[in-house]
Amino acid sequence: MLELKNVSVAYGSIRALRGIDMVVQPGKITAVLGANGAGKSSLLRAIAGIAPVTEGDLLYRNASLKPYPAHRRARMGISLAMEGRRLFRHMAVEENLLLAWSFGPRRTPFAQAVRSVYDAFPILGERRTTKAGMLSGGQQQMLILSSVTIREPELMLLDEPSLGLAPIIVSQIFDFITAYAKARGTAVLLAEQMAVMALRVADHGYVLRGGQVVMHGASDELVKADIVSKLSAAYL
Amino acid sequence: MNAFRHAMARILGQPLLGLAVVVALWFWAGMIDRATVQLLSFLMLNILLAQSINLLTGIAGQISLGHAGFFAIGAYAAGVLTKSHGISVPLALILAVALTAAVGWLLAIPAGRVKEFYLAMMTAGFGLLCFEIAKEWSSVTGGVVGLSGIASPTLRNLKVLGWTFDAVDLFRAMLVATAIVLLLMRNLVQSYHGRAFFAVQASEIAAGSMGIARGQVKRRAYAISGAMAGLAGALYAHLVGYLGPDSFGIMRSVEVLVMAIVGGMGTIVGPILGAALFTWLPERLQVFAEYQFMVYGLILMVIFLVLRRGIAGALTEPTRFIAVRAMAAARAADTKPAAPAPATNPGPADRPALLEVRDLARNFAGLVALDGVSLSLRPGRITALIGPNGSGKSTLVNVVSGIYQPSRGHVVLDGEEIGGKPDHMIAQRGLIRTFQDPRLVPSFTVRENILLGGQRHFRSPMLAAALRWPSTLREEADMVRRAEQVMALAGLDGVADQIIDSLPYGYRRLVEVGRAIMAEPTVVLLDEPAAGLSEAELGRLATMIRHLRDTGKAVLLIEHHMDFVNDIVDDVVVLDSGREIYRGDMRGMREDPAVIAAYLGVGQNDHA
Amino acid sequence: MTFAGQLIFAGVCVGAVYALIALGLNLTFWATRTLNFGQGSLMMLCAVVAVMVFDGGFNIYLGLLAGVAVAGVIAAATEAIAIRPITRLTGSMGWVVTTLGVGIFLQGFVSKFFGSQALAFPSFLFSPRDYVSVLGVRLSAQYLIILVIALALVLLFELFQRRTAWGRALQAVAADQDLAAVMGIPVRLVVTLSFVASGLLAGVAGALVAQITGTVDAAFGFNLLIFGFVAAVIGGMGNTWGALLGGIFLGIMEKLVGGYVSTAAEQAIAFALLMIMLAVRPEGLLGEKEFVKV
Repeated sequence: MLELKNVSVAYGSIRALRGIDMVVQPGKITAVLGANGAGKSSLLRAIAGIAPVTEGDLLYRNASLKPYPAHRRARMGISLAMEGRRLFRHMAVEENLLLAWSFGPRRTPFAQAVRSVYDAFPILGERRTTKAGMLSGGQQQMLILSSVTIREPELMLLDEPSLGLAPIIVSQIFDFITAYAKARGTAVLLAEQMAVMALRVADHGYVLRGGQVVMHGASDELVKADIVSKLSAAYL
Repeated sequence: MNAFRHAMARILGQPLLGLAVVVALWFWAGMIDRATVQLLSFLMLNILLAQSINLLTGIAGQISLGHAGFFAIGAYAAGVLTKSHGISVPLALILAVALTAAVGWLLAIPAGRVKEFYLAMMTAGFGLLCFEIAKEWSSVTGGVVGLSGIASPTLRNLKVLGWTFDAVDLFRAMLVATAIVLLLMRNLVQSYHGRAFFAVQASEIAAGSMGIARGQVKRRAYAISGAMAGLAGALYAHLVGYLGPDSFGIMRSVEVLVMAIVGGMGTIVGPILGAALFTWLPERLQVFAEYQFMVYGLILMVIFLVLRRGIAGALTEPTRFIAVRAMAAARAADTKPAAPAPATNPGPADRPALLEVRDLARNFAGLVALDGVSLSLRPGRITALIGPNGSGKSTLVNVVSGIYQPSRGHVVLDGEEIGGKPDHMIAQRGLIRTFQDPRLVPSFTVRENILLGGQRHFRSPMLAAALRWPSTLREEADMVRRAEQVMALAGLDGVADQIIDSLPYGYRRLVEVGRAIMAEPTVVLLDEPAAGLSEAELGRLATMIRHLRDTGKAVLLIEHHMDFVNDIVDDVVVLDSGREIYRGDMRGMREDPAVIAAYLGVGQNDHA
Repeated sequence: MTFAGQLIFAGVCVGAVYALIALGLNLTFWATRTLNFGQGSLMMLCAVVAVMVFDGGFNIYLGLLAGVAVAGVIAAATEAIAIRPITRLTGSMGWVVTTLGVGIFLQGFVSKFFGSQALAFPSFLFSPRDYVSVLGVRLSAQYLIILVIALALVLLFELFQRRTAWGRALQAVAADQDLAAVMGIPVRLVVTLSFVASGLLAGVAGALVAQITGTVDAAFGFNLLIFGFVAAVIGGMGNTWGALLGGIFLGIMEKLVGGYVSTAAEQAIAFALLMIMLAVRPEGLLGEKEFVKV
């Protein structure tokens, strides 16, 4: 689905990623693990087209993404949920969904698409007219996730969906992601600091440190290699 | 090209060059025709105006689209006072300058509250308001008919202290006045007062964090700039003898802006060159006069793409912002670097805290970013503040340093409540912070940036700085000496004279920490100083932080780089969701279940 | 109608045009957080082009169409040459200066090639002497139609913004460009179209003001730009209803001061209001305080 070849990202003189090689499979969840500042967000933003790639190439369905600006990539089925609860805070829940749907492939009529969102997260249906900025953290994360899924993406890029949420909400959100990916065959790239949680749902994992991949493999292998303790040492 | 610019800078830096030019112009004026004397007189006016906007916009960073307003006030004040009230010319001139300075000071009160295009619009509004008043207040200004018969050389009625001035005399007076203003301005720019102007331009928040009172700096910049334009206006009134509102419209403001930008903002020589060019061109080039406004428009459109730093930037190196004599004095004195303090043990944990934070909270529109955090920073100890993204670390630093108001709780610095006080007052009292993204003055050298840290220790009044009093120079030399010591400690002495913008990212972080050391604070808050540093730079950073500890400062270190933290900290506080979840030493933290859960989602035992 | 009533009516009509100008400023503010300081010259240019086409023997409506189109194209060009390349290089001072440069250039161009004297602007809807009776009150037909056009455009715009995908895309770009881009919104195109629309609105506003004043000259626009900005600031930068409110407030103030104090103070009141408003409440009456993130 997606293949990164020797990708480097730099903001001016600050290098965020160096020589990343990575493969993301359809229908699978690939986790990107690492501490703050390891380069997880830069990686996802580079794939989505909003961070400058200075070196290397990104292949999406075997064609280079480099010629395409962010909004074209979005229409090609790549959908990014940015970190820090980025959504349109002054717009209502349903307006956020409508906006996301409007510039997507629009394969499903909006009424139907939004109904399936509210089926998955009933609380969003109850608060459809509430301004997104007034939702709780967990609800905001559900809305961000729904803004991604309502676009019926083929590659979902999720940047720290667990950030600042209670564990129970985190597992609810992770369950949703897993079910969605399996049911639709969507490829998921999940950037997470919470390694244990992420590896529980992921099929494959990459560990970033200082903008480089220091380890990767199947999730169970990573767990076996005691990656969590190593990560814990890296964070703490 | 660089060699040329360097040579030019050396020539322009000659102390006697200015004097030679003034003397030459003085005598030359006696030998040339009236028209040329008139042109040279206008050159003096334009230099004053261009420098006036340069001080406000190029140096203090406050854009002005209404400089004609100050010019008009000075001109009408001088004209009305001498003609309608019979006040003597020199006294009227002084009153006109005082009046424009006062107007500038007052304008700074509303203008100081806004930035960017709001400020541009407000100053444009100020200029247009002055224009409307000149046009409509007929009983005083003569309205659209104008004010004629002001004492001037043409009418042979310009009497100054019993002398009747002819055109050459007036030019010589203007020449001397301009030379004095330029000298004072140079002195000011090369002092801590001038550097404060630049600091406000670069980042108001960073300026506040060094103890610079933004409001006061802006009021001073507006007042001085207003006075300079007012002086130009008063001289203009006597030069031409007639004032009509059309001389003070928006186009005059634009013209002044064009001169300063084309010459080169932020330098002393630039606006002089710009004024010379645009005084000479319309006079000598018929085509230019005909297409004047189209040319001005085009110049404004392309200048930043073609000549970003103006003519001065292309021809010579930028002005430096430390008095040459203070540098020489500092060099002459013993500049042995401060011996890196011997590695001592951290201060005892039971000394009274320098900073006491109690139950501090901060909400943002319903979102709780900080939820009752308490901590104590003791002298000679380094405390790490860590936690996942969004846990409230930066908010804590911002509330403690006075950038955000606390929603609840207390911050006590050295026995004094500082919670809710403005940031520059907190910095003045000795609490200094750094920023996640280093906030330095990009056009300054490393040395000048470091020196900014000493801002809170300077005492010389502005007038003394402008007159370059010996005590001012001594103070400056002392500070430069200390800056040298800080640079030696940080390993920055090799790049002391490099412009910070030309150096790699890592240097900026080290310079910012160096600036904090220069401030000789009691408490330092370092917000992710290690981010993006190489191994070698990390070593230097550690030396600097240990130096702070060993000199008895209380240090708070926010950092994600755990290897780095591990090596240097004494205490650790971990935040999660705006609350403290751990306090103690490093080893204990690694095993603390709450900390592990915060970072990894669940306890380690879950998967084992 | 009483003197005061007439002043207020005239104020509302003029104010609605200020609101239109403010709306044009809001558009570029949303799209790029910048203002076009050459917007005043676009208003002037539209009116001048209309006069030129009309004097060339063509229909005035054709002239207006041409004028508005020219304003739209130049607005988009301004974004491409004077804003986009500059925001990357310098801070806000850069684009203030460059867009001002575009405005000054246009002003210089018009005064050089079309004369610096005022040009007579034809009455295209009604003559200044036409009156209509509304509920028994005699109102100037010209003022009334200007009010109707300005109000209709403001309302249409509000509808466009709330009810269409592109209107929502504009809001999205205003709020968060990166987020808008990853949602599939062509940010660049939205920005360019915003500038075109902003130029069109400036052109219409210029034509409407020229209709009232009866003449147009090269220096015609800059004060109008400030008036439009005052309207935008009173209402809160970026707020459509605020712009309407602010414009009408300014218009009424202006006419009342002109009628009861002195016509000489008519213009000055706007500048004074601008400085007071920015000093006391820069976020405007309807605006929310922007939070500065450190």
